[in-house]
Amino acid sequence: MNIGIFLQTVIGGIGIGSLYALIALGYSMVYRSMGLVNFAQGSIYMVGTYFGIIWYAGMVMGLHVPYPIALIIGVSLNAMLGVLLERIFRPLARLDLMFMLLGTIGLGFVLDNLFVIIFGAEGFAVTSPLPNAPLVVFGIRILPQMLLLIGVSALLMVSLQVFLKRTRSGKAMRASAMDNEIASAMGIPVHRMNAMTLAIGSGLAAAAGILAAPIVYVNPAMGSAIGLKGFAAAILGGLGSIPGAIAGGLVFGVLEAVSAGYVSSSYTRGIAFLVMVVVLMVKPSGIVGEVTVEKV
Amino acid sequence: MNRLSIAKVAALVVLGCVLLAFPFIAKDRYQVHVINTVGIYILISLGLNIAMGYAGQFNLAMGALWGVGAYTAAILNTRFGIPFWLNVPAAMVAAGIMGAVVGLPSFKVRSHYLAIVTIGLGEVINIIFVNEQRLTGGADGISRIQMPSLFGFPINTDERYYYLILAVVLIGFFIARQILKHRIGRSFRAIRDDYQAAKAMGINTAYYQILAFVISASYAGVAGALFAHLNTYISPDIFDFSSTLFILTATMVGGMGSLAGSIVGGLALPILQEYLRVIKNWQLVAYGIAIMVVVLFIPGGVMELMRRLRASRALRWLSAERRPEERFEPEETNVSGN
Repeated sequence: MNIGIFLQTVIGGIGIGSLYALIALGYSMVYRSMGLVNFAQGSIYMVGTYFGIIWYAGMVMGLHVPYPIALIIGVSLNAMLGVLLERIFRPLARLDLMFMLLGTIGLGFVLDNLFVIIFGAEGFAVTSPLPNAPLVVFGIRILPQMLLLIGVSALLMVSLQVFLKRTRSGKAMRASAMDNEIASAMGIPVHRMNAMTLAIGSGLAAAAGILAAPIVYVNPAMGSAIGLKGFAAAILGGLGSIPGAIAGGLVFGVLEAVSAGYVSSSYTRGIAFLVMVVVLMVKPSGIVGEVTVEKV
Repeated sequence: MNRLSIAKVAALVVLGCVLLAFPFIAKDRYQVHVINTVGIYILISLGLNIAMGYAGQFNLAMGALWGVGAYTAAILNTRFGIPFWLNVPAAMVAAGIMGAVVGLPSFKVRSHYLAIVTIGLGEVINIIFVNEQRLTGGADGISRIQMPSLFGFPINTDERYYYLILAVVLIGFFIARQILKHRIGRSFRAIRDDYQAAKAMGINTAYYQILAFVISASYAGVAGALFAHLNTYISPDIFDFSSTLFILTATMVGGMGSLAGSIVGGLALPILQEYLRVIKNWQLVAYGIAIMVVVLFIPGGVMELMRRLRASRALRWLSAERRPEERFEPEETNVSGN
């Protein structure tokens, strides 16, 4: 086995894995704070991608906003969408899993089809702001955009951890996630914290989408497959755990890339899911294995 | 205790006549085709309802299991020339076995985890449909499946096929009722309502969990064989996760935990879609909003709505029915509560 090609495959996997991880974070954070499994996360990722890319690709009044600014606009707009969504999710969070599943899927359906109406069903390719020629380091070829995706994702994940651990709002968010009632008794505005969680989750999904847009193809249906994989990644790491979501996303991405490269490219999707099923059977709390209280 | 009043008998007779005469009163062949598809959806929905609504087991691989039935029938028919009548039981058995496999994880995982595991296994099955080209024809699918014939009488139009589907749906409905009325049904509900308590009562939970999966998959299998022989063409994209979602939505709109809900939902959704066609592009958006409205305001679906209506005082007063001892018993529903 050629070690260079293997490393190249793994780095590609880490790139796509960072994308999954950012989406998995949205699932896990919302689950942790509201007890809600948000199956609209894939659609939120799609919406976030459009929110950023339309400025960069000159789809709004022919403006060609620089990529970093488009990224910031997209993330902010999607975070605002997250705040709005909190109002819809509040009644859903009280229902049984089956109803959450269907309610959030219904929401995703609405978002997907609204975007089909606005932008048309056919997608488009996005040119990378960085050079398209792959960098060659020790014989390993990496796309600059892939490096950007990995780097910015890592930065976002670290800042999320710092925010949650060190800042006042972060602590309040963690407290309200731990126990809604006690937190609100202590004067923490739980609903506002939930809205902030959804804003962060949606913002991260937008960042993932905008960073990956030059690598993947942008269309209104792009959310469904990646949303499902992001959820699988969140479950793989242990739903509700933040380090778990990151680890789950990276493991899922690498697994997919390696199995595509070495086992069978046509069975890639299946292999990743099979491994997830096996992990769940052996260790249902996920690979990071944080002990979480089961919400009944 | 089923007291048949004259009104009820009359209603049943009218319903029976409408069902039997439908192909003659339908506006065109397309309507009959839509209703045939509805019948197939109702069968799958009955299966899903047994697993999810009664036994509390998330079986979100239903679309793929439906595909297993369809592919079994299609392969047997196109490769070996085996007729429809043998393919239906074969598809049922094949899907039932796959259902048992899909259900195995239910020993270890529950709720969201079971949901994602069954979604994952469903995806794996669908990927097999796409990739095992020599067996399944790959992404192109299988075409030229023969339509059935009965003692030399060809069932080769939508109108003729309608009666076949009607018969199968009725049989499926009554079998489901019988299953749920007796020991198996009681064990299912016990497991759904309190897994630990059911176990403590001496119910063989593992056996009944797998049984729930096998029964639901068998319904999907029969529906698959019916679908393959009706459309004469199948391809993997029909049986992907979105088909599971459609069935799930139909069942929940009708009422999870109520067999009649499967029929109502299976009928309501495609008809709603037909009516929403008027608003063109906004059709799917409206459809999504409708799902959310049902979930948020009537989580028990249409059956729940009817139950509320029947229980409401005003209606009871209107129907001059004043027998407090014969109060309507809330059927074993309430998947939402707790």
